[in-house]
Amino acid sequence: MKITDEVRISDNGFVFNSKTGDSFNVNPTGLELTKMIAQGHDFDEIKNIFLQKYELDDLTFEKDFYEFCALIKYHQITSPEDPLDFK
Amino acid sequence: MEKLKYDKPAITKINAGMPSKFGLPVKQKVISEIDGIKVSSLMEEYGSPLFVISEKTIREVQAEAKRAFETRYPKVQFAWSYKTNYLDAVCSIYHDEGSWAEVVSGFEFEKALSNGVNGSQILFNGPDKSEADLIMAIENNACIHIDHFDELYLLIETSRKLQKKARVAIRVNLDAGIYPIWDRFGFNYENGDAWNAINRIMLAENLELIGLHTHIGTYIMAQSAYAIAASKLANLYMAIHRKFDYWLKYIDLGGGFASKNTLKGAYMPGSETCPSFDDYAEAISNALISSEIPHENLPVLFLETGRALIDDAGYLLTTVIANKRLNDGRRSMVIDAGVNLLFTSFWYNLGVYPTRELGHAEESTIYGPLCMNIDVVRDAIVFPQVKTGEQLVIERVGAYNITQSMQFITYRPNVVLIDMEGETHIIRKKESLETFKNSELNPKRN
Repeated sequence: MKITDEVRISDNGFVFNSKTGDSFNVNPTGLELTKMIAQGHDFDEIKNIFLQKYELDDLTFEKDFYEFCALIKYHQITSPEDPLDFK
Repeated sequence: MEKLKYDKPAITKINAGMPSKFGLPVKQKVISEIDGIKVSSLMEEYGSPLFVISEKTIREVQAEAKRAFETRYPKVQFAWSYKTNYLDAVCSIYHDEGSWAEVVSGFEFEKALSNGVNGSQILFNGPDKSEADLIMAIENNACIHIDHFDELYLLIETSRKLQKKARVAIRVNLDAGIYPIWDRFGFNYENGDAWNAINRIMLAENLELIGLHTHIGTYIMAQSAYAIAASKLANLYMAIHRKFDYWLKYIDLGGGFASKNTLKGAYMPGSETCPSFDDYAEAISNALISSEIPHENLPVLFLETGRALIDDAGYLLTTVIANKRLNDGRRSMVIDAGVNLLFTSFWYNLGVYPTRELGHAEESTIYGPLCMNIDVVRDAIVFPQVKTGEQLVIERVGAYNITQSMQFITYRPNVVLIDMEGETHIIRKKESLETFKNSELNPKRN
């Protein structure tokens, strides 16, 4: 999963997708997640960072992470790195 | 290092050029307590889901309705509409407030009697009155509101057999300028059916015509319709006097006043658009007082409003079971109260509220727990993110939801009354397997 090339993310939580013309607001944790995904962090790395930083348990994070990923995928903010890569 | 408070990650699409028709989002309403009792402690003690009825609200709303009518018309009598909510504890409060009983079946008639209502203070409506029901009504001197000619002739026959006089009124259906016209109940005013029925009753030896009744519909948002109905009944009232030199005792305008719930598809919330008791009272009282009826012969005005009196007093407390994303990214959640408990969710956008301030809100669909696709409590409601186990409150469910609730898939929950002193009482117990075993028979095992 990677952030689509056409997507731009501002530091105040504004996301613009020039491919679709859609724009979005993300809340601070959503912004943090999006940026980490953009930087190429994987799930375990992001989880560890969040668990250290926030009052949060691992299962809640896991549920919220995958829900957020499904949403940004739906909005075409992310795309699979290689559709044929099944590993 | 101290950890930071966590907010669920959220993303909201910006829809430029499509502002909300209600302007900027308002602060999310929170219902954390009912009559000073915490929702969480009610649920801890009585379980979830849980119906809660507020005696304080019942009495306050009833007092408001009484004030609206009694300050505008000299003789007013309310009759509690049993079908709206016939839990004994609820009916007792209305009777304590001075209401008679308005019933629509033999079962409801028996319930009113068992609640200590004098038979002569029961208005017996409805299209289904068996001979046994009519006998019970005649024996108890009730006011029988005749619905159709077959009932009229059955009543003539029954009263002859009993050799007792029956006190009757007729239900009149009429064009009050609104759609739909409820012409399935009663005798029509415009085509002369009502006048024919009146003439037949006046000729019957054992029937005493004492009133005229109409019920023009439900959730009527135009008070002017009541003015038209009252005028037409006043015309009949005077026509009877002219022909028979006889004054009836009452005119019954039925119910149908809108509650503050919002109908599906309505542009504005019901709390902003529905007429108040004052609006209805002004329309009805003006029509009667300015009719031909001499002031000294004005009839008693009966009102059978149910929905508008009790909707606000009922709450359903419920718990979030799950959060889900639908295929198209829409948010949904599952709660433990379904449409089998919330019959009115089919035509109202019921108000669902959290019990504490929560974060980011987005458009959501709220499903009930039933394994049925139709179990949708709310669609397109802007609702904050909640975790499983979060407690929610559904308001304005006092009318019809308890009487029309259906046992389906799960047990129906406790119903709790908060009395005037703030004490809580179970007024109907949660169902259990025993509830069903007590009434079921299995010939293969017995």
